[in-house]
Amino acid sequence: MPNIILDIQNIHKRFGEQMVLNGIHLEVHQSEVLSIIGSSGSGKTTLLRCLNLLNEPDDGHIYFMGSDLMDPKTDLDQLRMHMGMVFQSFNLFNHLSTIENVMLAPIKLLKLSKDEARELATKQLTKVGMQEFIHYKVSQLSGGQKQRVAIARALAMNPKVMLFDEPTSALDPEMVGEVLFVIKTLAQEGMTMVIVTHEMAFAKEVSDTIVFMDQGVICEKGSPEVIFNHPKEKRTQAFLKRYIHI
Amino acid sequence: MNLLLSLPPKDQFFQTLWYLINTYSSFFIRGILITLLLSIVGTMGGFLLSLVLTMLRTQTIDYKRDSRIKRWMIKIGHIFADSYITVFRGTPMIVQAMIFYYGISPLRLFWWTPLVAGLFVVTLNTTAYIAEVIRSGINGIDKGQMEAARSLGFSRGRSLVLIIYPQAIKNSLPAIGNEFIVNLKDTAVLSVIGVFDLFRATQSATSSNFRVVEGFFIAAIIYLIMTYFTSMLVKKLEQKMDQSKELSHA
Repeated sequence: MPNIILDIQNIHKRFGEQMVLNGIHLEVHQSEVLSIIGSSGSGKTTLLRCLNLLNEPDDGHIYFMGSDLMDPKTDLDQLRMHMGMVFQSFNLFNHLSTIENVMLAPIKLLKLSKDEARELATKQLTKVGMQEFIHYKVSQLSGGQKQRVAIARALAMNPKVMLFDEPTSALDPEMVGEVLFVIKTLAQEGMTMVIVTHEMAFAKEVSDTIVFMDQGVICEKGSPEVIFNHPKEKRTQAFLKRYIHI
Repeated sequence: MNLLLSLPPKDQFFQTLWYLINTYSSFFIRGILITLLLSIVGTMGGFLLSLVLTMLRTQTIDYKRDSRIKRWMIKIGHIFADSYITVFRGTPMIVQAMIFYYGISPLRLFWWTPLVAGLFVVTLNTTAYIAEVIRSGINGIDKGQMEAARSLGFSRGRSLVLIIYPQAIKNSLPAIGNEFIVNLKDTAVLSVIGVFDLFRATQSATSSNFRVVEGFFIAAIIYLIMTYFTSMLVKKLEQKMDQSKELSHA
């Protein structure tokens, strides 16, 4: 097996009374594209947000390149620099221009000079097809454009893994394609990715592994071929059936 | 030239205005300048100091990772900032002026003049109000902004300084402009400790001739002009910001 990038061991997460994650075990390997599917409330977004501790699990361990994120002595900020995250609602910095959004972290965290950062940002924005828009304000971009800039912003930190939290759920249908295209390109380049998505066709096409979650646990895990064509679990079958009929 | 004018009879309202303006123009001008000085220094100084309060208030305790000492420092910071704001917003500025001016005067500091005390009090007072303005500005920032910054590897503190505060301050600018307008009017109470602001200047201008109504009519017009123009500027600023907001929802 190739290197393990993320090793999640028995994490639990409660919101008040409700058990959102109930003992999750999961490994993500180098260059693996792993998609998490499941109905709303299954805990898939919470699981993804636990991977960089935006949500802190109540117990369990998350090893990222050998360091336990749950250890209080771990320098979380340092480790987060190596994990890119893309949000459903883009979360671009509204007071900065397109290119400044991408330049900020390389300048402040990687200590790049402005010129180096500008070069890096231009390269990443070109990669996501946004080179024409580098001086636009965030408010002037469409949803799909914002999301592509958000991907470039995460890529500029040269992450070891990219986390996508429903990256197309807030987009108008005609803009979904351009964002999925960028993610596909990353997959082909060997980027390690964990993707929470409702785009089943996309998940099937791009993923090495599919994880189906239900009620806070991983119900079934396997290759896209197995999960989509020959699911073993009743709950997986029921979920996919609903999806196909919608 | 001023000496040539003599005090018109009591029923001559407009002549009296003219007489007062001509005779006491230096009083009014000095009063205007002092009122502007108090308002500008109070608002700018209050803004800067409110940033300190904001930083104290926006610290949060991470029970898992913060040392005991850090937790205590954060708690003390919270208590200080909250009490400061409660006290300064909960008492009249005229009372604060009396306590500070007469409280510090016995130390016989040569520089502790009414004007210095006035600048001091209006600044401390405005600090509390602007801190509340910025707090609501921060509450208005989507929490995704902080999450995005943290996900890139910024510490909470740097996320606040680089991402949250700049946006909160920008959104608060119209409200800070309104604080300036409030200060233009409310610094009148500082005349109680002898600051020669527009109110006090008007009092002086009318003290020997007893044309109080005419004198303060002039003062009212001057206050109105100052506040009117400032509020026009604030409105312009708001319109400009609304436009950029509309764009972001397009």
